[in-house]
Amino acid sequence: MADAIVKVEAIVKDFRPGLGIRAKRVLHGISFEVREGEIFGFVGPNGAGKTTTLKILMGLVRPTSGKASVLGCPVRESAFRRHVGFLPENPYFYDFLTAREILDFYAKLSGVRGAARKTRVSSLLEWVGLEGAADERLRGFSKGMLQRVGIAQALVHDPKVIFLDEPMSGLDPIGRVAIRDLILGLRAEGKTVFMNTHILSDVETTCDRVAIIAGGRIRYEGRTRAFLDGAERLSDVVLARLDAVCTARLEQRYEALVTGIGDRAELRVREKDVSAVLAEALRAGAEVISVTPYRVSLEETFLAAVASSGTGEAS
Amino acid sequence: MIDSCLRIATLAENTVRQAIRSRLLYTLLFFGLVMIATSVAVSSLSYVESERIVQDVGFAAIRIFGVGIAIFVGVGLIHDEIERRTLYTLLSKPVSRMEFIAGKYLGLLFTVWIQLAILSLAFVLVSLAVGAPVTASLFAALGLIGAELMVVVAIATFFSSFTTPMLASLMSVGIFVAGRLSRDILQLGQGSGDTGTAAAAEALYRVLPDLEAFDLTVQAVHGLPIADADVLLPLAYGIAYSAVLVMAAAWVFERRDLR
Ligand SMILES: Nc1ncnc2c1ncn2[C@@H]1O[C@H](COP(=O)(O)OP(=O)(O)O)[C@@H](O)[C@H]1O
Ligand SMILES: [Mg+2]
Repeated sequence: MADAIVKVEAIVKDFRPGLGIRAKRVLHGISFEVREGEIFGFVGPNGAGKTTTLKILMGLVRPTSGKASVLGCPVRESAFRRHVGFLPENPYFYDFLTAREILDFYAKLSGVRGAARKTRVSSLLEWVGLEGAADERLRGFSKGMLQRVGIAQALVHDPKVIFLDEPMSGLDPIGRVAIRDLILGLRAEGKTVFMNTHILSDVETTCDRVAIIAGGRIRYEGRTRAFLDGAERLSDVVLARLDAVCTARLEQRYEALVTGIGDRAELRVREKDVSAVLAEALRAGAEVISVTPYRVSLEETFLAAVASSGTGEAS
Repeated sequence: MIDSCLRIATLAENTVRQAIRSRLLYTLLFFGLVMIATSVAVSSLSYVESERIVQDVGFAAIRIFGVGIAIFVGVGLIHDEIERRTLYTLLSKPVSRMEFIAGKYLGLLFTVWIQLAILSLAFVLVSLAVGAPVTASLFAALGLIGAELMVVVAIATFFSSFTTPMLASLMSVGIFVAGRLSRDILQLGQGSGDTGTAAAAEALYRVLPDLEAFDLTVQAVHGLPIADADVLLPLAYGIAYSAVLVMAAAWVFERRDLR
């Protein structure tokens, strides 16, 4: 087994909102490990505690109890950060600087010296596709461009481990693919990547291993494939001229989620039930407009799991 | 060690770039210059000692607006980095919180000293214009305002390491005023005849900055000689007092959750 690059042991975090007499427990003793050279997905619905965990790993927030280490160093130290890159959620940078200036600033802070700094900054700007806007002020940058600046600053000192908080959320489809390719490129270079996300399709396309967190507790840790195969797959079936009786029957028998009736009905059903649903609908004289596999977002899987098992709790 | 100094210098340089973008800074500087310029008009109303009035008003302007810039521009700087989350990326680099606070402090101090230099230049020019004496004592007094500002910047940095800009500026102004009066507090205590009160007043005097130590206005304006010790002792005191405050700020900041 490869060495643990990140090790989190029984971390508990209580926040005291406002004046804070009553503590609110956000992390309930979580443990997991990230191994060398993998893209690790830390996955869970909004409010699960992903960002809080990452802030603990970055030494921004102190755990109430428990231990965390990165590259074998306790997270409160600052020296090991020479080997660590971090992209915060919705990153923001001094907008009066240009892309080149901000990268130069972070490179200086990371101890990249002399001529090496200039070439490093230029090659990174090119790598993230910002060479055209390198000397423009960040004030005018779009969200996708800022995200690229964020990734570039995380890499400016050629770190061994990169931590990304929701690197692909809030981007348009093209931006997401671009960022995803950058992340896959990092693995090709032998980096270890830790990535927070709440979007299942991103996990599927990028992560080797995942830990699933909900309500401040780890629900699963293991290979991505194993997790996704366990998740239920759904399809959207769109039908025309489906009568009310048949609609009601499908709703009952297949637990279909129906939206719209009559002329155009949309049914969300389990993938394995699709052919049965279609057969029944056709027999009732309906017309099939489309069938599309539906990607369950993790959030939905979890809401379902938490609601049915009753083991979850509000965070 | 060298790495640490380079990081602090990088942070300080960036802080200067941030601070000189502040509109408030230029507003305060502008009014400081206006006050120095109008001192000429005010002094012309008086037949006697008009040069002294020019210089009295000038010193007051430099002190008030220097302190104003130190406090009101200073208290926002750390808060902005937290509020805009620029601090997250900073601290994910091999930058300790001590280095961050030191960089902020030095950057702000440098900015304030530039303003002091501009105000002082205007002051010297006005003095020359009205024929007031420009002596070594005058420069010594201006230099000690620089030392006083070192302490005031440290006060602002300390409060902004754990509270909002609003509260930090109120507290900083409070400590500044108390610091100007700390000798009076000591005397009041001693004159009270009550040992408890005297001891309390003395304790307060020790904790509060003794800002009057930095005030050589009277000597400078009246052309009185200033002994080396009158400059060097306050200078050493200012450096020590600021260093302690900045370390206290770093200690407090180190323990904060940044969220
Ligand atoms: N500074 C804070 N004070 C109080 N509660 C907080 C604070 N930050 C986060 N929380 C709470 O902690 C929980 C986890 O938040 P977070 O870690 O941001 O989740 P995620 O990143 O998974 O969406 C949420 O319920 C959130 O409301
Ligand atoms: Mg988050």
